[in-house]
Amino acid sequence: MKNISPPKILITGVGITTAIGQGKINFLAAILAGKDAFARLNRPGRQIADANNVPLVGCEIDNLVIPDRIATRDIRTASWSAQVGVTSLDEAWRDAHLDDVDPSRIGLIVGGSNFQQRELVLIQEKYADRAYFLPPSYGMAFLDSDFCGLCTQYFPVTGFAHTVGGASASGQLAVIEASEAVASGRVDVCIAMGALMDLSHWECRGLQAMGAMGSNRYADRPSLASRPFDRDRDGFIFGESCGVVVIEKGDTADRAGVVPYAEVLGWATRMDGNRKPNPSQVGELSVILASLARAGLSPQAIDYINPHGSGSIAGDNTELSAIREAGLSSAYINTTKSLIGHGLTAAGAVEVVTTVLQMRAGVLHPSRNLDNPIDSTLNWVRGESVTHQIEYAIALSMGFGGINTALCLGRN
Amino acid sequence: MKTEITRDRIFNIIVQHTCEVIPELEGHSFVETDRLADLGANSMDRAEIVMMTLESLSLKIPLIELVSAKNIGKFADLLHEKHQST
Repeated sequence: MKNISPPKILITGVGITTAIGQGKINFLAAILAGKDAFARLNRPGRQIADANNVPLVGCEIDNLVIPDRIATRDIRTASWSAQVGVTSLDEAWRDAHLDDVDPSRIGLIVGGSNFQQRELVLIQEKYADRAYFLPPSYGMAFLDSDFCGLCTQYFPVTGFAHTVGGASASGQLAVIEASEAVASGRVDVCIAMGALMDLSHWECRGLQAMGAMGSNRYADRPSLASRPFDRDRDGFIFGESCGVVVIEKGDTADRAGVVPYAEVLGWATRMDGNRKPNPSQVGELSVILASLARAGLSPQAIDYINPHGSGSIAGDNTELSAIREAGLSSAYINTTKSLIGHGLTAAGAVEVVTTVLQMRAGVLHPSRNLDNPIDSTLNWVRGESVTHQIEYAIALSMGFGGINTALCLGRN
Repeated sequence: MKTEITRDRIFNIIVQHTCEVIPELEGHSFVETDRLADLGANSMDRAEIVMMTLESLSLKIPLIELVSAKNIGKFADLLHEKHQST
Protein backbone atom coordinates (compact mmCIF):
# COMPACT_ATOMS: atom_id res chain seq x y z
CA MET A 1 0.00 0.00 0.00
CA LYS A 2 1.33 3.38 -0.94
CA ASN A 3 2.35 5.52 1.98
CA ILE A 4 0.85 9.01 1.59
CA SER A 5 2.28 11.58 3.97
CA PRO A 6 -0.25 13.97 5.45
CA PRO A 7 -0.32 17.48 3.99
CA LYS A 8 1.70 20.17 5.69
CA ILE A 9 -0.05 22.47 8.14
CA LEU A 10 1.03 26.01 7.33
CA ILE A 11 0.71 29.49 8.76
CA THR A 12 -0.31 31.67 5.82
CA GLY A 13 -1.41 34.91 7.44
CA VAL A 14 -0.93 36.96 10.59
CA GLY A 15 -2.52 39.97 12.21
CA ILE A 16 -1.31 41.79 15.29
CA THR A 17 -2.16 44.80 17.42
CA THR A 18 -0.09 45.80 20.45
CA ALA A 19 0.79 48.91 22.40
CA ILE A 20 4.08 49.24 20.50
CA GLY A 21 2.71 48.74 17.02
CA GLN A 22 -0.40 47.98 14.98
CA GLY A 23 0.16 45.65 12.06
CA LYS A 24 2.98 43.21 11.40
CA ILE A 25 5.34 45.74 9.81
CA ASN A 26 5.14 48.27 12.63
CA PHE A 27 5.18 45.55 15.26
CA LEU A 28 8.27 43.83 13.84
CA ALA A 29 10.16 47.11 13.65
CA ALA A 30 9.19 47.88 17.25
CA ILE A 31 10.25 44.52 18.71
CA LEU A 32 13.55 44.48 16.85
CA ALA A 33 14.25 47.96 18.25
CA GLY A 34 13.34 46.76 21.76
CA LYS A 35 10.65 49.41 22.05
CA ASP A 36 8.21 49.54 24.96
CA ALA A 37 5.15 51.58 25.92
CA PHE A 38 4.81 50.94 29.64
CA ALA A 39 3.09 53.71 31.56
CA ARG A 40 0.40 54.22 34.16
CA LEU A 41 -2.76 52.39 33.03
CA ASN A 42 -5.31 54.92 31.79
CA ARG A 43 -8.17 53.04 30.17
CA PRO A 44 -11.43 54.03 31.96
CA GLY A 45 -12.50 51.43 34.51
CA ARG A 46 -9.10 49.76 34.78
CA GLN A 47 -7.22 51.56 37.54
CA ILE A 48 -8.02 50.25 41.02
CA ALA A 49 -10.22 52.83 42.76
CA ASP A 50 -8.55 52.81 46.14
CA ALA A 51 -6.61 55.72 47.51
CA ASN A 52 -4.17 53.33 49.16
CA ASN A 53 -3.33 51.63 45.90
CA VAL A 54 -0.31 52.88 44.02
CA PRO A 55 -1.36 53.28 40.34
CA LEU A 56 -0.89 50.17 38.23
CA VAL A 57 1.46 50.23 35.27
CA GLY A 58 1.21 48.32 32.02
CA CYS A 59 0.77 49.13 28.37
CA GLU A 60 -2.34 50.05 26.42
CA ILE A 61 -3.07 50.43 22.73
CA ASP A 62 -3.37 54.03 21.52
CA ASN A 63 -4.72 55.35 18.23
CA LEU A 64 -6.26 52.12 16.97
CA VAL A 65 -7.05 52.41 13.25
CA ILE A 66 -10.16 50.32 12.61
CA PRO A 67 -10.54 49.13 9.01
CA ASP A 68 -13.14 50.89 6.85
CA ARG A 69 -15.03 47.64 6.27
CA ILE A 70 -16.38 47.80 9.86
CA ALA A 71 -19.44 50.10 9.93
CA THR A 72 -19.56 52.87 12.54
CA ARG A 73 -22.94 51.59 13.77
CA ASP A 74 -21.34 48.29 14.76
CA ILE A 75 -18.33 49.93 16.37
CA ARG A 76 -20.72 51.76 18.76
CA THR A 77 -21.77 48.51 20.40
CA ALA A 78 -18.50 46.60 19.88
CA SER A 79 -16.37 46.16 22.99
CA TRP A 80 -12.73 47.25 23.04
CA SER A 81 -11.72 43.60 22.69
CA ALA A 82 -13.99 43.32 19.67
CA GLN A 83 -12.67 46.49 18.03
CA VAL A 84 -9.06 45.38 18.38
CA GLY A 85 -10.07 41.84 17.37
CA VAL A 86 -11.74 42.74 14.07
CA THR A 87 -8.85 45.08 13.28
CA SER A 88 -6.30 42.29 13.79
CA LEU A 89 -8.49 39.81 11.93
CA ASP A 90 -8.73 42.16 8.96
CA GLU A 91 -4.94 42.19 8.63
CA ALA A 92 -4.65 38.39 8.80
CA TRP A 93 -7.57 37.93 6.40
CA ARG A 94 -5.95 40.12 3.76
CA ASP A 95 -2.49 38.67 4.44
CA ALA A 96 -3.75 35.14 3.66
CA HIS A 97 -5.98 36.27 0.76
CA LEU A 98 -8.98 34.56 2.33
CA ASP A 99 -11.49 36.24 0.03
CA ASP A 100 -10.40 33.55 -2.44
CA VAL A 101 -11.43 30.63 -0.16
CA ASP A 102 -14.86 28.94 0.04
CA PRO A 103 -16.40 30.38 3.26
CA SER A 104 -17.84 26.99 4.23
CA ARG A 105 -14.28 25.66 4.43
CA ILE A 106 -13.09 28.37 6.86
CA GLY A 107 -13.36 28.18 10.65
CA LEU A 108 -12.59 30.71 13.39
CA ILE A 109 -11.43 29.91 16.92
CA VAL A 110 -11.18 32.79 19.38
CA GLY A 111 -8.93 32.07 22.34
CA GLY A 112 -10.19 33.47 25.63
CA SER A 113 -13.16 33.55 27.93
CA ASN A 114 -14.69 36.48 29.81
CA PHE A 115 -12.38 38.79 27.90
CA GLN A 116 -14.69 41.84 27.74
CA GLN A 117 -14.80 42.44 31.49
CA ARG A 118 -13.96 46.16 31.62
CA GLU A 119 -16.68 47.09 29.15
CA LEU A 120 -19.24 45.12 31.15
CA VAL A 121 -18.15 46.71 34.42
CA LEU A 122 -18.42 50.20 32.94
CA ILE A 123 -22.02 49.53 31.89
CA GLN A 124 -22.92 47.81 35.16
CA GLU A 125 -21.52 50.68 37.21
CA LYS A 126 -23.20 53.31 35.01
CA TYR A 127 -26.60 51.66 35.39
CA ALA A 128 -26.23 50.39 38.95
CA ASP A 129 -29.05 52.59 40.26
CA ARG A 130 -31.21 52.68 37.10
CA ALA A 131 -31.16 49.16 35.76
CA TYR A 132 -34.38 49.71 33.84
CA PHE A 133 -32.49 51.77 31.25
CA LEU A 134 -29.73 49.21 30.67
CA PRO A 135 -28.96 49.20 26.92
CA PRO A 136 -30.72 46.19 25.38
CA SER A 137 -27.56 45.32 23.44
CA TYR A 138 -26.00 44.30 26.77
CA GLY A 139 -28.22 41.22 26.59
CA MET A 140 -26.19 39.79 23.73
CA ALA A 141 -22.89 41.65 24.04
CA PHE A 142 -22.04 40.19 27.47
CA LEU A 143 -21.41 36.85 25.76
CA ASP A 144 -17.93 36.48 24.27
CA SER A 145 -19.58 34.62 21.39
CA ASP A 146 -21.17 37.94 20.34
CA PHE A 147 -17.68 38.78 19.10
CA CYS A 148 -17.62 35.61 16.97
CA GLY A 149 -20.91 36.78 15.45
CA LEU A 150 -19.45 40.20 14.68
CA CYS A 151 -16.41 38.63 13.01
CA THR A 152 -18.50 36.38 10.78
CA GLN A 153 -20.76 39.29 9.81
CA TYR A 154 -17.79 41.05 8.23
CA PHE A 155 -15.58 38.15 7.23
CA PRO A 156 -17.25 35.27 5.37
CA VAL A 157 -16.58 32.36 7.73
CA THR A 158 -19.38 29.79 7.71
CA GLY A 159 -17.53 26.60 8.69
CA PHE A 160 -17.68 27.35 12.42
CA ALA A 161 -16.78 30.10 14.86
CA HIS A 162 -16.48 29.73 18.60
CA THR A 163 -14.30 30.49 21.61
CA VAL A 164 -11.92 28.29 23.60
CA GLY A 165 -10.77 29.18 27.10
CA GLY A 166 -7.49 28.20 28.69
CA ALA A 167 -6.60 31.19 30.87
CA SER A 168 -3.20 32.57 29.80
CA ALA A 169 -2.75 29.64 27.42
CA SER A 170 -5.94 30.56 25.52
CA GLY A 171 -4.15 32.13 22.56
CA GLN A 172 -1.89 29.16 21.94
CA LEU A 173 -4.78 26.81 22.65
CA ALA A 174 -6.69 28.52 19.82
CA VAL A 175 -3.73 27.94 17.49
CA ILE A 176 -3.58 24.29 18.54
CA GLU A 177 -7.33 23.76 18.10
CA ALA A 178 -7.15 25.45 14.70
CA SER A 179 -4.30 23.13 13.71
CA GLU A 180 -6.38 20.14 14.84
CA ALA A 181 -9.37 21.37 12.82
CA VAL A 182 -7.26 21.64 9.68
CA ALA A 183 -5.38 18.37 10.27
CA SER A 184 -8.65 16.48 10.71
CA GLY A 185 -10.14 17.92 7.54
CA ARG A 186 -12.99 19.62 9.36
CA VAL A 187 -12.07 22.79 7.45
CA ASP A 188 -9.31 23.74 4.99
CA VAL A 189 -8.50 27.02 6.71
CA CYS A 190 -8.84 27.89 10.37
CA ILE A 191 -8.20 31.30 11.86
CA ALA A 192 -6.94 31.36 15.45
CA MET A 193 -7.13 34.50 17.54
CA GLY A 194 -5.83 35.35 20.97
CA ALA A 195 -8.46 37.84 22.10
CA LEU A 196 -7.54 41.07 23.85
CA MET A 197 -8.17 40.55 27.56
CA ASP A 198 -9.84 43.76 28.70
CA LEU A 199 -9.18 43.74 32.44
CA SER A 200 -11.40 45.87 34.66
CA HIS A 201 -10.25 47.19 38.01
CA TRP A 202 -11.88 44.15 39.63
CA GLU A 203 -9.71 41.64 37.73
CA CYS A 204 -6.65 43.84 38.28
CA ARG A 205 -7.27 43.85 42.01
CA GLY A 206 -7.91 40.11 42.08
CA LEU A 207 -4.75 39.34 40.15
CA GLN A 208 -2.79 41.74 42.33
CA ALA A 209 -4.25 40.36 45.57
CA MET A 210 -3.42 36.78 44.63
CA GLY A 211 0.16 37.80 43.90
CA ALA A 212 0.15 37.13 40.17
CA MET A 213 0.29 40.73 38.95
CA GLY A 214 3.54 42.55 39.62
CA SER A 215 3.81 44.91 42.54
CA ASN A 216 4.15 48.67 42.48
CA ARG A 217 7.92 48.54 42.89
CA TYR A 218 8.41 50.26 39.53
CA ALA A 219 5.32 52.50 39.57
CA ASP A 220 7.49 55.58 39.04
CA ARG A 221 9.68 53.86 36.43
CA PRO A 222 7.16 51.88 34.34
CA SER A 223 9.59 50.83 31.63
CA LEU A 224 11.49 48.77 34.23
CA ALA A 225 8.43 46.92 35.54
CA SER A 226 8.11 44.01 33.08
CA ARG A 227 11.17 41.84 33.66
CA PRO A 228 10.54 38.14 33.00
CA PHE A 229 13.36 35.81 34.05
CA ASP A 230 15.20 38.62 35.82
CA ARG A 231 16.11 38.27 39.49
CA ASP A 232 14.16 41.45 40.35
CA ARG A 233 10.84 40.35 38.82
CA ASP A 234 7.82 40.04 41.08
CA GLY A 235 4.88 39.18 38.85
CA PHE A 236 3.44 39.88 35.43
CA ILE A 237 2.82 43.34 34.03
CA PHE A 238 -0.35 43.65 31.97
CA GLY A 239 -0.28 44.69 28.32
CA GLU A 240 -3.13 44.94 25.83
CA SER A 241 -2.62 42.91 22.67
CA CYS A 242 -4.32 40.71 20.12
CA GLY A 243 -2.80 38.22 17.69
CA VAL A 244 -4.30 36.33 14.77
CA VAL A 245 -2.84 33.37 12.90
CA VAL A 246 -4.25 31.75 9.75
CA ILE A 247 -3.67 27.98 9.68
CA GLU A 248 -4.26 25.89 6.58
CA LYS A 249 -3.31 22.76 4.71
CA GLY A 250 -0.37 22.99 2.37
CA ASP A 251 -2.42 21.66 -0.54
CA THR A 252 -4.87 24.57 -0.39
CA ALA A 253 -2.34 27.31 0.25
CA ASP A 254 -1.39 27.80 -3.39
CA ARG A 255 -3.55 30.91 -3.89
CA ALA A 256 -1.97 33.84 -5.66
CA GLY A 257 -0.08 36.07 -3.29
CA VAL A 258 0.13 33.60 -0.39
CA VAL A 259 3.62 33.16 1.05
CA PRO A 260 3.55 30.79 4.05
CA TYR A 261 5.39 31.96 7.16
CA ALA A 262 6.05 28.61 8.78
CA GLU A 263 4.98 25.02 9.10
CA VAL A 264 3.15 23.89 12.23
CA LEU A 265 4.96 20.67 13.06
CA GLY A 266 3.73 19.57 16.44
CA TRP A 267 1.65 20.56 19.42
CA ALA A 268 0.52 19.30 22.78
CA THR A 269 -1.72 20.20 25.69
CA ARG A 270 -1.64 18.68 29.17
CA MET A 271 -3.44 19.34 32.43
CA ASP A 272 -1.71 19.18 35.81
CA GLY A 273 -4.84 18.10 37.66
CA ASN A 274 -4.50 21.18 39.80
CA ARG A 275 -6.99 24.05 39.98
CA LYS A 276 -4.49 26.43 41.56
CA PRO A 277 -2.31 28.96 39.72
CA ASN A 278 1.00 27.32 40.56
CA PRO A 279 3.10 25.87 37.73
CA SER A 280 4.20 22.27 37.27
CA GLN A 281 7.56 21.27 35.88
CA VAL A 282 6.16 17.83 35.12
CA GLY A 283 3.31 19.31 33.09
CA GLU A 284 5.54 21.73 31.21
CA LEU A 285 8.15 19.11 30.42
CA SER A 286 5.40 16.81 29.26
CA VAL A 287 4.06 19.21 26.62
CA ILE A 288 7.54 20.11 25.41
CA LEU A 289 8.41 16.45 24.86
CA ALA A 290 5.04 15.57 23.38
CA SER A 291 5.11 18.44 20.87
CA LEU A 292 8.68 17.56 19.87
CA ALA A 293 7.64 13.92 19.39
CA ARG A 294 4.69 14.89 17.23
CA ALA A 295 6.96 17.15 15.19
CA GLY A 296 9.54 14.38 14.82
CA LEU A 297 12.22 16.68 16.20
CA SER A 298 15.01 16.12 18.68
CA PRO A 299 15.45 18.78 21.38
CA GLN A 300 18.78 19.73 19.83
CA ALA A 301 17.03 20.67 16.58
CA ILE A 302 15.19 23.54 18.30
CA ASP A 303 17.15 26.74 17.81
CA TYR A 304 14.66 29.27 19.21
CA ILE A 305 12.34 29.28 22.23
CA ASN A 306 9.54 31.77 22.74
CA PRO A 307 8.79 31.04 26.39
CA HIS A 308 5.69 31.81 28.41
CA GLY A 309 7.82 33.80 30.90
CA SER A 310 5.22 35.95 32.58
CA GLY A 311 7.54 37.39 35.22
CA SER A 312 6.06 35.21 37.95
CA ILE A 313 8.55 34.20 40.66
CA ALA A 314 7.64 30.51 40.66
CA GLY A 315 6.49 30.32 37.04
CA ASP A 316 9.71 31.58 35.47
CA ASN A 317 11.89 29.29 37.59
CA THR A 318 9.73 26.28 36.80
CA GLU A 319 9.70 27.00 33.08
CA LEU A 320 13.49 27.26 32.86
CA SER A 321 13.81 24.00 34.77
CA ALA A 322 11.52 22.31 32.26
CA ILE A 323 13.46 23.82 29.35
CA ARG A 324 16.77 22.56 30.75
CA GLU A 325 15.40 19.12 31.54
CA ALA A 326 13.98 18.84 28.02
CA GLY A 327 17.42 19.45 26.54
CA LEU A 328 16.63 22.84 25.00
CA SER A 329 19.39 24.79 26.76
CA SER A 330 21.35 25.64 23.64
CA ALA A 331 18.47 27.34 21.79
CA TYR A 332 18.17 31.11 21.62
CA ILE A 333 15.55 32.44 24.01
CA ASN A 334 14.06 35.92 24.43
CA THR A 335 11.02 37.34 26.17
CA THR A 336 8.27 39.05 24.21
CA LYS A 337 6.40 39.98 27.40
CA SER A 338 9.32 42.20 28.42
CA LEU A 339 8.39 44.42 25.45
CA ILE A 340 4.58 44.29 25.36
CA GLY A 341 3.56 42.97 28.76
CA HIS A 342 1.33 39.98 29.38
CA GLY A 343 -1.79 39.93 27.24
CA LEU A 344 -3.23 36.94 29.16
CA THR A 345 -5.75 35.40 26.72
CA ALA A 346 -3.94 37.04 23.78
CA ALA A 347 -0.39 36.11 24.73
CA GLY A 348 -0.08 32.66 23.17
CA ALA A 349 -1.27 33.77 19.73
CA VAL A 350 0.70 37.02 19.87
CA GLU A 351 3.85 35.04 20.65
CA VAL A 352 3.26 32.68 17.71
CA VAL A 353 2.97 35.75 15.47
CA THR A 354 6.15 37.13 17.05
CA THR A 355 7.96 33.85 16.40
CA VAL A 356 7.04 33.61 12.72
CA LEU A 357 7.81 37.28 12.06
CA GLN A 358 11.28 36.77 13.54
CA MET A 359 11.60 33.59 11.48
CA ARG A 360 10.84 35.47 8.29
CA ALA A 361 13.08 38.42 9.22
CA GLY A 362 16.04 36.26 10.25
CA VAL A 363 16.45 38.40 13.37
CA LEU A 364 15.59 37.80 17.05
CA HIS A 365 14.24 40.64 19.15
CA PRO A 366 16.01 41.83 22.30
CA SER A 367 14.62 41.36 25.82
CA ARG A 368 14.15 44.32 28.10
CA ASN A 369 15.17 44.42 31.76
CA LEU A 370 16.95 41.09 31.69
CA ASP A 371 19.73 42.58 33.79
CA ASN A 372 20.40 39.52 35.93
CA PRO A 373 18.90 36.39 34.37
CA ILE A 374 17.88 33.76 36.91
CA ASP A 375 19.83 31.31 34.76
CA SER A 376 22.71 32.98 32.95
CA THR A 377 23.78 29.76 31.23
CA LEU A 378 20.91 29.90 28.74
CA ASN A 379 21.29 31.46 25.31
CA TRP A 380 19.44 34.71 26.00
CA VAL A 381 18.87 37.49 23.50
CA ARG A 382 19.28 40.39 25.90
CA GLY A 383 19.87 44.07 25.14
CA GLU A 384 20.35 43.91 21.37
CA SER A 385 18.66 42.02 18.56
CA VAL A 386 20.56 39.04 17.14
CA THR A 387 20.77 38.03 13.50
CA HIS A 388 19.74 34.40 13.39
CA GLN A 389 17.73 32.33 10.93
CA ILE A 390 15.30 30.22 12.96
CA GLU A 391 14.91 26.71 11.58
CA TYR A 392 12.83 25.12 14.33
CA ALA A 393 11.09 26.99 17.13
CA ILE A 394 9.05 26.01 20.16
CA ALA A 395 6.56 28.32 21.86
CA LEU A 396 5.19 27.63 25.33
CA SER A 397 2.09 28.79 27.19
CA MET A 398 0.68 28.04 30.63
CA GLY A 399 -2.45 29.13 32.44
CA PHE A 400 -4.20 29.08 35.80
CA GLY A 401 -5.93 25.82 36.50
CA GLY A 402 -2.98 23.70 35.45
CA ILE A 403 -3.05 24.00 31.67
CA ASN A 404 0.19 23.64 29.68
CA THR A 405 0.60 23.96 25.91
CA ALA A 406 3.51 23.75 23.49
CA LEU A 407 3.79 24.32 19.76
CA CYS A 408 6.67 23.45 17.40
CA LEU A 409 7.14 25.49 14.24
CA GLY A 410 9.51 24.96 11.34
CA ARG A 411 10.77 27.25 8.60
CA ASN A 412 8.77 26.49 5.47
CA MET B 1 -40.77 68.62 40.20
CA LYS B 2 -41.36 67.26 36.70
CA THR B 3 -40.01 69.30 33.80
CA GLU B 4 -42.47 70.00 31.00
CA ILE B 5 -41.29 68.83 27.62
CA THR B 6 -42.90 69.54 24.28
CA ARG B 7 -43.95 66.87 21.84
CA ASP B 8 -41.58 68.34 19.20
CA ARG B 9 -38.69 68.12 21.64
CA ILE B 10 -39.47 64.43 22.13
CA PHE B 11 -39.50 63.94 18.35
CA ASN B 12 -36.06 65.52 18.17
CA ILE B 13 -34.77 63.28 20.96
CA ILE B 14 -35.94 60.23 18.98
CA VAL B 15 -34.18 61.56 15.89
CA GLN B 16 -30.99 62.23 17.86
CA HIS B 17 -30.84 58.70 19.26
CA THR B 18 -31.73 57.19 15.89
CA CYS B 19 -28.69 58.96 14.42
CA GLU B 20 -26.50 57.76 17.29
CA VAL B 21 -27.48 54.16 16.61
CA ILE B 22 -27.39 54.52 12.80
CA PRO B 23 -24.76 57.18 12.06
CA GLU B 24 -25.40 56.77 8.34
CA LEU B 25 -28.68 58.69 8.86
CA GLU B 26 -26.87 61.88 9.84
CA GLY B 27 -28.18 64.49 7.41
CA HIS B 28 -31.41 62.59 6.69
CA SER B 29 -34.51 64.81 6.81
CA PHE B 30 -36.71 62.97 9.28
CA VAL B 31 -40.48 63.18 8.83
CA GLU B 32 -43.36 62.09 11.06
CA THR B 33 -44.16 59.06 8.93
CA ASP B 34 -40.61 57.64 8.95
CA ARG B 35 -40.54 54.07 10.24
CA LEU B 36 -37.39 52.93 12.06
CA ALA B 37 -37.37 49.62 10.19
CA ASP B 38 -37.55 51.44 6.85
CA LEU B 39 -34.64 53.64 7.97
CA GLY B 40 -32.48 50.53 8.32
CA ALA B 41 -32.90 49.85 12.04
CA ASN B 42 -32.94 46.16 12.87
CA SER B 43 -34.76 44.84 15.94
CA MET B 44 -31.77 45.39 18.22
CA ASP B 45 -31.26 48.90 16.86
CA ARG B 46 -34.93 49.68 17.50
CA ALA B 47 -34.72 48.38 21.05
CA GLU B 48 -31.65 50.56 21.64
CA ILE B 49 -33.32 53.68 20.21
CA VAL B 50 -36.44 53.10 22.34
CA MET B 51 -34.44 52.59 25.54
CA MET B 52 -32.14 55.58 24.92
CA THR B 53 -35.21 57.75 24.39
CA LEU B 54 -36.90 56.47 27.55
CA GLU B 55 -33.68 57.12 29.47
CA SER B 56 -33.48 60.68 28.14
CA LEU B 57 -37.07 61.26 29.30
CA SER B 58 -36.63 59.30 32.57
CA LEU B 59 -39.75 57.39 31.59
CA LYS B 60 -40.17 53.91 33.07
CA ILE B 61 -43.07 52.36 31.25
CA PRO B 62 -43.74 48.80 30.13
CA LEU B 63 -42.30 48.35 26.65
CA ILE B 64 -45.46 46.53 25.59
CA GLU B 65 -47.27 49.86 25.76
CA LEU B 66 -45.10 51.20 22.95
CA VAL B 67 -45.78 48.58 20.31
CA SER B 68 -48.77 50.47 18.86
CA ALA B 69 -46.50 53.28 17.57
CA LYS B 70 -46.03 52.48 13.90
CA ASN B 71 -43.81 55.42 12.96
CA ILE B 72 -41.61 57.92 14.77
CA GLY B 73 -44.37 60.57 14.78
CA LYS B 74 -46.74 58.18 16.54
CA PHE B 75 -43.93 57.17 18.87
CA ALA B 76 -43.38 60.83 19.81
CA ASP B 77 -47.13 61.27 20.39
CA LEU B 78 -47.27 58.24 22.63
CA LEU B 79 -44.22 59.21 24.67
CA HIS B 80 -45.53 62.76 25.07
CA GLU B 81 -48.81 61.41 26.36
CA LYS B 82 -47.02 59.05 28.79
CA HIS B 83 -44.71 61.80 29.95
CA GLN B 84 -47.62 64.11 30.73
CA SER B 85 -49.50 61.42 32.63
CA THR B 86 -46.62 60.35 34.88
